[in-house]
Amino acid sequence: MTAMRAAERFDVAERILAARGLSRDYRLGAETVHAVRDVSLEIDAGEYVAIVGPSGCGKSTLLHLLGAIDRPDQGTLDMLGREIARLPEREATAFRLRNVGFVFQRFYLVPTLTARENIELPMAEAGLARDERAARAHELLSYVGLAGRERHRPSQLSGGEQQRVAIARALANRPSLLLADEPTGELDARTGAEVVALFDRLNADGTTLVIVTHDEELARAARRVLHMRDGSVVSDVRRAVRP
Amino acid sequence: MRFVLAAASLQRQGTRTLLAVLGVAISAALLLDMVMLSTGMRESFRSLLSRQGFDLRIAPRGTLPFDTDATIADASAIARTLKEHPEVDAVSPVFGASVHIARDDATIAATALGVDPAVQGDYELLEGTSLPDTMSLVASDAFLVATGARLGDTLRIAAGYDPQLRTWLGRRALVISGRARFIYLPAEQRAIALRLPVLQTMAGAPGTDRVNLFMVRLAPDADADAVQRWIEARSPRVTAVPTAVAIEQVDARLSYFRQLAYILGAVSLIVGFLLVTTLVTVSVNERVGEIAVMRAIGVSRVHIVQQIILEGLAISLAGTAIGLLLGLGTARWLNGILATFPGLPEPIDFFLFQPRAAWTALGMLVLIGIAAGIYPAWRSASLPIAATLREEAVG
Amino acid sequence: MALLFLALVLQVESAVPSDPSAVSISPTGTSALAPTRLTAAADSLRNIAIDERLAADALLRIGDLVVLSATPGGDGDTVRVAAITRGAADPAEVARADHRIRLHLDQLQTLAGYGDRVDRFAIATGEGAATDTALRTINDAAFGFRAHRSTDIAVESSRTFAVVDRFHRAIGIITIVASATFLLCILLLKVDERRRDVAALRLIGISRRTVVRAVVIEAALVAALGSVLGIGIGWAASAIVNWHYRGVYRTPLAFALVTPQVIVIAVSLSLALGVAAGWLAARRLVRAQPLALFGR
Repeated sequence: MTAMRAAERFDVAERILAARGLSRDYRLGAETVHAVRDVSLEIDAGEYVAIVGPSGCGKSTLLHLLGAIDRPDQGTLDMLGREIARLPEREATAFRLRNVGFVFQRFYLVPTLTARENIELPMAEAGLARDERAARAHELLSYVGLAGRERHRPSQLSGGEQQRVAIARALANRPSLLLADEPTGELDARTGAEVVALFDRLNADGTTLVIVTHDEELARAARRVLHMRDGSVVSDVRRAVRP
Repeated sequence: MRFVLAAASLQRQGTRTLLAVLGVAISAALLLDMVMLSTGMRESFRSLLSRQGFDLRIAPRGTLPFDTDATIADASAIARTLKEHPEVDAVSPVFGASVHIARDDATIAATALGVDPAVQGDYELLEGTSLPDTMSLVASDAFLVATGARLGDTLRIAAGYDPQLRTWLGRRALVISGRARFIYLPAEQRAIALRLPVLQTMAGAPGTDRVNLFMVRLAPDADADAVQRWIEARSPRVTAVPTAVAIEQVDARLSYFRQLAYILGAVSLIVGFLLVTTLVTVSVNERVGEIAVMRAIGVSRVHIVQQIILEGLAISLAGTAIGLLLGLGTARWLNGILATFPGLPEPIDFFLFQPRAAWTALGMLVLIGIAAGIYPAWRSASLPIAATLREEAVG
Repeated sequence: MALLFLALVLQVESAVPSDPSAVSISPTGTSALAPTRLTAAADSLRNIAIDERLAADALLRIGDLVVLSATPGGDGDTVRVAAITRGAADPAEVARADHRIRLHLDQLQTLAGYGDRVDRFAIATGEGAATDTALRTINDAAFGFRAHRSTDIAVESSRTFAVVDRFHRAIGIITIVASATFLLCILLLKVDERRRDVAALRLIGISRRTVVRAVVIEAALVAALGSVLGIGIGWAASAIVNWHYRGVYRTPLAFALVTPQVIVIAVSLSLALGVAAGWLAARRLVRAQPLALFGR
C-alpha cells in the first residue's frame, strides 16, 4: 500500500526522534505535579513502541511532549533533525501538521463533518487541492476498511469505526510518526482487537508508532515497551520479533 | 473547509442558530428604522421645501413661515425691492386666510391661499386650469368633497362674519376652475387658492397689501446667504430664511426624534454585539476539546479563529438580511402612525430609506458581528492543548 | 410634544378669523440692552408681565421700561415690566421658542389696531348642567362664533400627543418583542451551557420536573434582580432625559415619568418573559436523553 509507506524514505535505522532530559510539571490546584521527570529516549524509523504504566504515571504527558503538543520545562527534543521542544506555537503547529499524526482515546472527530471530511481536514490545512484530498481520503478509508462509509457522520459510526476514521485522519499528511493515546480505551475487546490489528498492519507497512496504552493486547503487539512510573521510564524492553 | 466547518457547526445547533439570527434581525431592523428616522425627516423636509425650486422664504420678522398669524405689511413695496436683486428670478407672495362657504344649513370653513398663479409654488394642478381670472379658484379634493362641488361650479365664499350685523364679510362668487394638490397642507385639509389681490380685498383691512410669506426663487449658483443678508438689510421687518436654515430650524424642533433614533440605534448595535458574542462564546466553550484536537493535528490558530468568526459572520449576515425586510415593514407601520400628526403636509415622511445611510448602518452591524466573535474565538484557540485535552478527558 | 409642523402649515380652520398683529418689544434708552431705570414720571406708565424666557434672553428685570410696538422698530407705548411669569408646562408650546407678554386687553387692542375685538372669551360656569345650558344658549343666540367646552378643545389640541402616544407604544411593543427574543436566545444559550450538569442530575435520578423548576426559579430570580436594576436605570435615565430636555426647551415640563403603573407593567413583563424563557430553555434541555447531553 504505497500511501502508507511513509517510512520508506528513511533508512531502517534512521533516527526519527531523540529526547534528552525531558521534564514537565503542572499545577493541580495548590499542588505541583511532576508529570515527567528527566526522560530520555530515542525512536528509530519503523519502530513500534508502547508506553505503559499505572494511571497518573505521566504516559500521556510524555506523549504530548513527544508530539510537540506540550512544551517541556526542561530538556531537548530533536525530531527529524530539528529541535522542536521550544518552537514558537505557529511553527510547532505547522510541524505537527506535516510530521506527526495523533490518535486519541476519545476519537475527537468533528461531529458535524462526514468521515471523508474529517480525514480531509488536515490535508485542507496543508493546502492540498480538493481532488487530491478526495482521492487520498478515499484511499485511506479503504485502507482502514471503511470504504463506503465516506458520507457517514461520526454519530452514524460505531466506536471502532470512529477510531479507524481517526487513524485514517492521523495518516492523512503521511506523517513520519504516529502517536496514539489509549486508542482502544473506549472500545470493547473485539473492536479493540480490530484496531490492534490495524496498527500491526500500519507498522508492517513502515509507519513508526508510539502508543500509550493500558491494553495488554496492544502492549504485546509492540516490539518495544517503555514502562513508566511516577514520571520516569523505569524499563525499556525491546522484543526482537512479535510474539 | 473552513466554510464547511462553520456551516456544519451552525446547523448542529439549529434552534440556537435560528434564535440568534432572529435576535440579530431584530437588532438590524431597529437599527435600520432608527437610521431612517434620524435622517428621514430632515431629507423629507428638504425635498418638500426644494420641490418647487424656491430657495428663500420671507416671513414676518422673528417668525417662521405661517408659524404665527402675523403678516408682512406693504407687501407690494417689498416685492418690488426683492425683484431688484439681480439674482432673484421670481418672487411668489402668499396670503393666508380662513374662508366660509354656506351650503344648505351648514357653514363650511376652509383655508384660502392668495397667490400669483404665474409664480405660485403652493399647489400642483391635477385638473382644470390654474386661476385663469379673478373670478376663479382652485380647490383641494377635501374641499370639493366637503362642499359637494365640482369643476365649473360657482360658490359664494366669504372671508369673515360680523356677528353683530349678522352679515358675511368680503363675500364673492367664485368659479372652481381647477382641482389641485396643496403641497404644504395635509391631504385632509379643505383648501382653496385664489388670486392674491382677490383674497386681500375679501379679507378687508387685515389683508390690505399684506402677505404672510414670500417665496423667492434665485438664479442658479446664487449665494442664498448673501441674498438673505441683502433682503434683511433693506427690509428690517422681515426675516429671510434660506431653505438650508429652514431645514436646520425644523431639525432643531424635531431633535427629540433624532435623539431617540440615536439612542435606540446605539442600543441595537450593543445588543447585536452581545448576542453574537454570547452565542460564539457558548458555542466555542462547548467545543474546546474539538478545538484543541484540531490544533493538535496541525490546524493553525488563525484558521480556527477564522472558522469561528465565519460562524458569527454568517449569523450577522443572515440576520441583517432578514432585518432589512423587517425594518422596512416596521418603518412603514411607524411612519403610518406618525403620518396622522394633525397639520402634517402630505409629502412628509418620518422614515425615509436612504441607501447610503442604511447600508452603512447595516454594514456596521455585520462588522460588529465579526468583532463579537474575535475575542471568544481567539481565547478558545489559544488554550493550552495538552491541558485542555487533559480536562476534556477528565470531564 | 410640540405642534411641530405649524412652521409650515396654516392653522386649522377657526370660526372667526383672528389676525393679531405681532407686537415687538424693545428696551428704552439708547442701548438695546440698557433699559431705563424707574423714575417718578414713570408712575403713570402701564404695566406688563413678561415670561421668564424673554426676561432671560433680553436681560430684563422687574421695573425695567420697554417700548411695545406693533411693528419692529416702530412707534409704540412705553410700559413697565411689573412681573415675570413662568408659563404652564404646556406640551404644545414646548418646541416653540416663543416669547410671551401679558398686557391689559384694551392696550393690546389699541396697539394692534384690533378695535373692540377679541379672539375668544373663556367662560367659567357653575357645576354640571350649567355648562350645557351656557353652551346651548350661546350657540343658539350668537351665530358667527361658537362656544366649545374646554375639554373638547383639549381633546382636539391633544391630537398631536395622541399620535406621539401611539408612536411610543409602537416603539414599546417593538422593544418588548426584541427583548423577549434576546432574552430567550441568551437564556437558551446559558442553560445549554449547563447541559452536562443537567445530564448528571438526571442520571442520578432527579426528575425532569425538578430540573425545570430549578431553572425556572433561577430565571425568575435573575429576572427579578434585573427588574430592580432596570427600575434604577430607568429612573436615572428619566432624570437625565428630563434634565436634558428641560434645559434644551427651557420648560418645567416633565418629558419622562416613572410612575408606579409603569413600574408594575415593566416588572410584570420582565418577570413573565424571564420565567417563560427559562421554562422554554429548560424544557428543551430535559427533553433530550441524559447520555445525549453528555455527547454520547
